[in-house]
Amino acid sequence: MTNTLKIDALVVGGGIAGMQASLDLADQGYQVALVEKNPSVGGMMAGLSKVFPTLDCCSCITTPKMSAVAHHANISLMTYSEVQSVMGNEGDYQVRVMKKPRYVIEDECSGCRSCEMVCPLDLPDYDNEYGRGAHRVIYVPFSTAVPQKALIDIDNCIYCGKCLKACTTNAIDFAQQPEYVNIETTSIVLATGYKTTPYDAKKEYGGGRLRNVVHGMMVERLLAPTGAYGRQLRPSDGRQPDNIAYVQCAGSRDLTLGVDYCSRVCCMYAIKQAMLLAGALPMADITIYYMDIRAFGKGYEQFYENAKAMGIQFVKGKVARITEDENQNPILRVELIDQNSRVVERKHDLAVLSVGMLPGFDPNSMYGVPVDKDGFIKAPNPNISPTLTMREGIFATGTATGPMDIVDSIITAGAVAAEAAAYIQSHNGHRQLVAEQTERSVTHA
Amino acid sequence: MTITDKEAAQKRTAMLADLRKERREKVEHAQSLLKGQQAVRKTLSRVMQGEPRSIPEIAAATNLPPHEVLWHITAMKKYGEVVEDGMDEDFAFYLYRLAKEPIHE
Repeated sequence: MTNTLKIDALVVGGGIAGMQASLDLADQGYQVALVEKNPSVGGMMAGLSKVFPTLDCCSCITTPKMSAVAHHANISLMTYSEVQSVMGNEGDYQVRVMKKPRYVIEDECSGCRSCEMVCPLDLPDYDNEYGRGAHRVIYVPFSTAVPQKALIDIDNCIYCGKCLKACTTNAIDFAQQPEYVNIETTSIVLATGYKTTPYDAKKEYGGGRLRNVVHGMMVERLLAPTGAYGRQLRPSDGRQPDNIAYVQCAGSRDLTLGVDYCSRVCCMYAIKQAMLLAGALPMADITIYYMDIRAFGKGYEQFYENAKAMGIQFVKGKVARITEDENQNPILRVELIDQNSRVVERKHDLAVLSVGMLPGFDPNSMYGVPVDKDGFIKAPNPNISPTLTMREGIFATGTATGPMDIVDSIITAGAVAAEAAAYIQSHNGHRQLVAEQTERSVTHA
Repeated sequence: MTITDKEAAQKRTAMLADLRKERREKVEHAQSLLKGQQAVRKTLSRVMQGEPRSIPEIAAATNLPPHEVLWHITAMKKYGEVVEDGMDEDFAFYLYRLAKEPIHE
């Protein structure tokens, strides 16, 4: 089945930057389609616990935006969908989007999770909990997912029929096929985000091999009230850790990994997590092994000072390798830079690798948008127009353009909306005035 | 049950049988996962009768690796089959007990 949509802006990626750009364009009256590959919008931010430096709850910021993009009259939200092809030229792009089958009819599913409760098989939840938690074969991705609709991991379904019996709205459709949407759009905004440096990339750190070596995103889930454990437990045996080490630059500023840049967020998220852990586990010793602390944003330096005042230990040192003892306690071999480069071994019971940011997607082959040598989207004038790409009518925002924190992602989302709006206007794109839209809403009410 | 409901149920059963046949290889893989899970859950449920226990205690009683026990307890807790019930004397481990019995028929 194929549908056609004519719009002003196609936003690719439903993380915080994509959602904010969509809302900023839609609020000006432009018709927007937001395409997200995952079953829910929200992106990486939806999985975080709190934001630095204010320690505001992440869900409290993200969830209203997730809900807003789903309900905005000018936004067509397409989750669990991927762009298949992009044709055309500036100001007139034809994009084909594939909506992947959920095997659940979205319009019928009420999100009651009755199907999930009766499904007999639990699977590791890699998408949201990094394998630490579980979901059923039929499941709603997470408690604040938008849309709050179930989907089936069809490759692991035994077709027992329990979900069919439990569903009161007859929403389950095992015969569901991909659907295609042809989109004609004046502009495209790439908000394809980032992925983290694989935590097993540095073999000497034991990520993926040593059970009590985890990465920063895993700790976010340990700290989030909706996380798999709902507690701060170490993965090997469920014990509350009381001696935690952070290893900074574990995937950034590292030529051996081909990542020569600073990821800009690792220092701050490590400090934030250390403070939250110190609050949750008051008896725990927390040490951050770092090369440099980069606390560059507003209020960040004070945040760092607060962490030191709370008793977080900052040790200027480079971790060479991590091994473990017979109780699976990580042992860090560290060069202490401030102590004449003395090499010591220190035992902790949980080690956290502060992994960096890598580009989430290479848009060159599909969108004809080249990337820089670091893999992030290339901007012709990064200092004065950071959201432009090398292709007219295609814009970029958030971490698709380079490592940045949530604050900067939201700022660039506003900037990209302004650039795209000006472009749409200049190409006589259809602009639906807010007044007209309000009138229509009233008429239809 | 009306005749219509009965017919619908028969149709559903036939459809599921056809799907199982059509996707046999994947279904067999999923069935083996389910069998393994059911065996583990039965063992866990057996050793969790009575007093609340920590992950290492459950692991020792079941001869399962503690990380595997933690994963199963996490899943069972999510779906309301297990609940947390205090901590051990050293305040190092949480204790868990069955929420209802029996979990497996």
